[in-house]
Amino acid sequence: MKRIFKLTLISTVFIAFSCTDLDDELEDTLTEEFSVDGIDTGGGGGDGGPLLSAFARLRAGGAGNSGHFALQGVPGDDMAVPQKGGDWFDGGIWIDLHRHTWNAANDRINEGWNDAYGGIGECNIALDGGTLDANGTAQIRALRAYFYYRLLDLYGRVKLITTAGGDAPQSDRIDVFNFVESELLAALGISAVTASIDLSASALTTDVNPYRINQFSALGLLAKLYLNAEVYTGTPRYEEADWAATYVIDNGPYQLCAAGCTAPNRARRPDVETDPATLEGYAAIFATDNESNPEIIFSIEYASVGGGGMNFAQMTLHGPSQLTYGLDAAPWNGFVTLEEFYNSYETGDLRKEANFLVGPQTDFSGNPLIDFAADDDDLQVNYTPAVNELEPNALRQGGARMKKFSFEVLGRQDMNNDYPILRLGDIHLMRGEARARAAGDWNLSLPDVNAIRTRAGVSTLGSIDADEFLAERGREMFQESSRRTDLIRFGKFQDSWWEKTNADAFRNLFPIPVNQINAAPDLTQNPGY
Amino acid sequence: MKITLLRSLVMAGALLCFGLSQAQEVSGTVSDALGPLPGASVVVKGTTNGTQTDFDGNYTIDGLDDDAILVFSYIGYSNQEIPVAGQATIDVVLQEDAQALDEVVIVGYGSQAKKEITSSVVSVSTEDFNQGVVQEPTQLLQGKVAGLSVVNRGGNPNQEPVIRLRGISTVGGNQQPLVVIDGILGGSLSSVDPADIENITVLKDGSAAAIYGSRGSAGVIVVTTKRGKAGQPLRVSYNGQLGVSTIANQIEIMDRGEFLAVGGNDLGSDTDWRDEVTQTGIAQVHNISASGGGEGFNYRVAGNIRDTDNILINSGFQQFNFRTNFTGLLFDDKLKIDVNAAFTQRDSQIGFNEALRYATSYNPTAPVFGEDAPFPFNSAQFGGYFETLGLFDSFNPVAIAELNRNDRFATTLNYGVNLNYRVTDNLTVNLNYAAQNIKEDANIYYPTTGYWRGSALSPTRRGRADFGNSERRFRLLEGYAAYTNSFADKFNFTVTAGYSFQENDFNYSYFQIGDFPPGVDFDWSNNINAAQDLLEGGRIEADSGREDGDRIIRFFGRANITFDDAIYFDASISREGSSRFGSENRWGIFPAVGMGADLNKYLELPNVNLLKVRAGWGLTGAIPPAVGLDQQIFNVQNGVDGQSGAASTQDNGRAANPDLKWEEKSEFNFGVEFAMDRFGATADYFIRDIRDFVTFANVDAAENNGFDRRWQNSGQLGVTGFELSANYDVIRNDKLTYNTGVILTHNKNTLEENPQGDQVDGNLGAPGQNNTNVVLIREGEEVGQIWGPVFSGEVDANGTPILLDINGDGELVTGQGSALDDNADFRVLGTGIPDFEIGWTNQVTFGNWDANVFFRAVVGHSLVNSFRAFYEPIIGSQASYNFVNTKLQRDDIRTAQFSDYYVEKADFLRLDNMSIGYNFDLKEGSYIKGLRLSLAAQNLFTITGYSGVDPEPSLQDGGLPAGELRGDDADDQIDEIQANPLIAGIERREAYFTSTTITLGLNVNF
Repeated sequence: MKRIFKLTLISTVFIAFSCTDLDDELEDTLTEEFSVDGIDTGGGGGDGGPLLSAFARLRAGGAGNSGHFALQGVPGDDMAVPQKGGDWFDGGIWIDLHRHTWNAANDRINEGWNDAYGGIGECNIALDGGTLDANGTAQIRALRAYFYYRLLDLYGRVKLITTAGGDAPQSDRIDVFNFVESELLAALGISAVTASIDLSASALTTDVNPYRINQFSALGLLAKLYLNAEVYTGTPRYEEADWAATYVIDNGPYQLCAAGCTAPNRARRPDVETDPATLEGYAAIFATDNESNPEIIFSIEYASVGGGGMNFAQMTLHGPSQLTYGLDAAPWNGFVTLEEFYNSYETGDLRKEANFLVGPQTDFSGNPLIDFAADDDDLQVNYTPAVNELEPNALRQGGARMKKFSFEVLGRQDMNNDYPILRLGDIHLMRGEARARAAGDWNLSLPDVNAIRTRAGVSTLGSIDADEFLAERGREMFQESSRRTDLIRFGKFQDSWWEKTNADAFRNLFPIPVNQINAAPDLTQNPGY
Repeated sequence: MKITLLRSLVMAGALLCFGLSQAQEVSGTVSDALGPLPGASVVVKGTTNGTQTDFDGNYTIDGLDDDAILVFSYIGYSNQEIPVAGQATIDVVLQEDAQALDEVVIVGYGSQAKKEITSSVVSVSTEDFNQGVVQEPTQLLQGKVAGLSVVNRGGNPNQEPVIRLRGISTVGGNQQPLVVIDGILGGSLSSVDPADIENITVLKDGSAAAIYGSRGSAGVIVVTTKRGKAGQPLRVSYNGQLGVSTIANQIEIMDRGEFLAVGGNDLGSDTDWRDEVTQTGIAQVHNISASGGGEGFNYRVAGNIRDTDNILINSGFQQFNFRTNFTGLLFDDKLKIDVNAAFTQRDSQIGFNEALRYATSYNPTAPVFGEDAPFPFNSAQFGGYFETLGLFDSFNPVAIAELNRNDRFATTLNYGVNLNYRVTDNLTVNLNYAAQNIKEDANIYYPTTGYWRGSALSPTRRGRADFGNSERRFRLLEGYAAYTNSFADKFNFTVTAGYSFQENDFNYSYFQIGDFPPGVDFDWSNNINAAQDLLEGGRIEADSGREDGDRIIRFFGRANITFDDAIYFDASISREGSSRFGSENRWGIFPAVGMGADLNKYLELPNVNLLKVRAGWGLTGAIPPAVGLDQQIFNVQNGVDGQSGAASTQDNGRAANPDLKWEEKSEFNFGVEFAMDRFGATADYFIRDIRDFVTFANVDAAENNGFDRRWQNSGQLGVTGFELSANYDVIRNDKLTYNTGVILTHNKNTLEENPQGDQVDGNLGAPGQNNTNVVLIREGEEVGQIWGPVFSGEVDANGTPILLDINGDGELVTGQGSALDDNADFRVLGTGIPDFEIGWTNQVTFGNWDANVFFRAVVGHSLVNSFRAFYEPIIGSQASYNFVNTKLQRDDIRTAQFSDYYVEKADFLRLDNMSIGYNFDLKEGSYIKGLRLSLAAQNLFTITGYSGVDPEPSLQDGGLPAGELRGDDADDQIDEIQANPLIAGIERREAYFTSTTITLGLNVNF
């Protein structure tokens, strides 16, 4: 016994001086020891590898009620998020976005910033990883340029960081513009966009894959950049926008999705015979199964499983509409269309039917859809184009609902439709506008505008002016994260519309988010904020 | 021989010699006024040489020097010191001591006479504990210890209370105090049944806690369980309680008539939803123990059974707890072996607090069952219940409580061995080994007929079962030695040095599966192979994690010196390392010093027994809440539909910080203790400084690969406070005694530095009040200030409250996004942290009767009444939700917008605890040795102006909601499952209704 005790005592002393090991490995998360290559399936330009992670970052804020979609949509003259009593007040952030009274603490503005830098960080890690081939490198540089394009467009003055973990001073907007331009040109293997573009030196391919960047996507992004160059830098670059767009239209394998271009209508209820079996033309571009639509050049891949982030059905439908489509969860009744914008579509415009849900609603079997919490005595749900007010007591059934990205019966909160960043219809409108602006004659846009109008089933125009062009672009590009940029380019962002009168010119740029300035005091705020 | 060798070595190493002289033996009897005292302690002063009296109060002690002084002590009695001076027999009669000046108090790694302690320490024993059904040990102390806040808002027995010692002790680390059970640190309080507790000692300040390093940063609660006594024959006790709880308070809502009068939608019935989802709670507690001892050993075995039905229907718990301890002396009483073991098994029906929340907001004209609906309603789909389909955030509360199930099964096993070897009279060596395993299984089931979370309305996926389990293993090995001696007659000192090694292993897993066959009344969670989720991608949610080898290693030392039995000096230092830090900053050093003096020894004031002043300073640290937070982590990015490979991504990750280090807390404490024969008082003042919080902080997203946050050290917070406790024996005679005591606590928490930037936090949430942050976090300001616009009292034509232009600049800036702008019309609307917490105890004994009345008051704090903020405005489009109908309700307010109107003062005075007991006189020699009956009431009434559910302060916000499982949400980051102490003052809608409990108690000793 005494011996045991003595041994214990001595071993204690021993332990006391030996057992000081504090190294601990993380067992339940991947750390730097598992490098980016560790679980890669390849560094090429294909589906797997670092490109997978980088392109997946497009999903955040792309088609949900946060980040980029909210920033491009809610401040425009086409959509709003009215406060319905206790619902959707959310500290006033939606009202602020709509009425142009936002400030630097608005969460949506912070999300837009973080989502873009999240993508940029992923690109920088992929580039630093050294596993990319030439095509992969070109794609990642172009993708990074696109994320910087968003920052250029939303915030203007940002840090241009090109290595993982690096830092840089805040650049002027013109430097950000130059960086985006040079990166896209480098990916294309050219030094400038000209009337005759030679892409033989480009590491990008011409392969059709809407989830990755090819030569046409990069040129399309350049066209968008040049079209807005005057806003960003003060220097017009419309000719280059025209040339880039023309190259895509003339050389790309893409076609406008018109009559005969169809997709199954996944919103079709089995027992309701009036629901069409297929979606055709314009509507098919945004259908549930739009991944191989011939018009789409570059898109964000969304999927119910493994690719969540598109929540339009939840964002726009009223709760009882769950029973129309047999949705997994009750919708949130948030986003609606402005009445004036809805009415800007003429009767017979195929886009009106495709883009909006209005009128009395029926349930999964086609019987009237009842809302026991209705604001009026009529219990059947009926979406009216009119909205009584933005706040505080907007009617629950007021406002046409956004159904451009068509719903799916038995659908989940995360939808399966892909979200186009570039499509041929947009390229046409960009070319038309660039030509018109370059020459100072809006009628030069007519061939492109009429191509779009013909597809929409409305008459061609014989003449057009800037306002009409903007209206046409609005009807075509609704819900595609374009409206804010377009209104600014046309000088209309300070106009008044429903429930919005503020005309502050400085609001063409969002403020640098307050969280970022707190964390990085070397960032300075944009003028006016 | 070998022992002798070792002993010689140690003695040589100890540097100090002690004189050798003729050994002598003394024996005698220790008794009190009533007769012999078994288990009294007899110790040679200045040494650890000692013994205990046997059952007949007899003792024998040998090896005494001529000049030895014997110290006789027993808890609750005054010590007596008697010089041996050649006597062979010394008999003593100990006097009961009301103020217990010479009480021995357990401090870290040893014990000290209370009067020698230089830090702020409070010890509470059985007779002073709160009475009635107490389900959780710290509730025994609620309101009894100045500086200790035990808050279980609403009093849900299935929820652990928030325990705070002296305000905020850490911002990013663990807020809960360290628990030491029978000398073993790190144990879980839930493993101790309150009925088995003999004494709880609270080490309040940094100088006392510093020896525990980071673990003592939030204070230390030392629990001593009941034990047998040497020489005591077998004694069996039964302690039983039967408690009945009824709802004490809830927020006023409209009944059918009032609801229709303000334009509510009539659904044809008249239902009191809160009555439907609540019940009279019944709690039973049974404790049986057997204890005893013989020559050189003692033991105790106890079993506890608790069975509780909570006031929320279908919720409660059943707990079985077994605890045993054994102490034995070997080798001429030189080796003391202590063995403790406890096993706890708990079945909990957590229930769903959401039932209480929806009972408040659900239409009072809605029927419980679908067959009573005013229109054709397919109630079979919803298990027979009515549901307001299509209405956002509205669910039949009865269906929630009755259809669904939220069960936990937890077992806790802990055991420990302590070897204490007295190498010489002056030197003892201790070795502790302890282990604790906690396993918890959770099973939550939402049937296919459940509208809430069961998705009964979904055509595709109905029913859901959640499974979670976690396991936490803890091992502790500690060794320390204490050397005691005296010199120059007046100096006594004890030096302690030791080593401590602690290792935690933790793992958890979670999964959720659903889509069960509808139309069958069957619990599919027992047969998940039937789930159609198995056939369809992406439906099953699963999560797991593991953190093994999480270690804390510590070397510590302490010296206690007393001079002239009146001047005391303590110093300690510990060097501690934790695997939760990066290699750059893995070790920290935590020193502490304290001094005290009994001035009365020199002043000799008349009738004063003690006038002690003391001051202490200590540095402690707090560690991050999880392992590896210094590292950047990556997640896996799978291709969509799993078809296009996988890659690593930083999405949802965090940036690295190799410099992550200790959060440091330094605390200075100054105290005065005063005691007269019948009066005692203690006052403490402290200044605390916490710096380098471990927080999940915003960082420059551009610079950090798009990560906008990482764990880092930043910020500084100061706490100052004072505590007062006083005790007076108003009446003390043979028949009647009356003792009254008051404690008072005040503390002020100020955010001194906030590099994160000023912000508002504490989001009210959906529906409609997202981005509505109501608590100010601003540098230089007090913590927990409620911040918002001010209601003018007028409403506009829409029924929107008109807010005040506070700064009078003619511009109304009340948007939440502008809350901190210079021109904002916002101001402080109240503070979530109280100014004062007051406890007032009264104890009376009269013959065989005893009674106890305890009041508690908390003043100076306010609460955001979320129920009112959401459900009080008569919102036209919400005519299908019920409205809150407090005295502040106004029919003309028709928009929900946060303002000072929803912030209320929450001062209260509560009759917290009242009890009366009778001890029966029993015949000598009867089988029953003691019999006691008692009746207790808890929370008998509350006086408050607050119109919400519970005026109790809300000290923190967030954290994993009660009843939810970790892993449930894929985004459960560490920072989200931790409560935030900077957000105080919000009463959330999930608040549990408070209850009043009346308890009948029976105590029999055989």
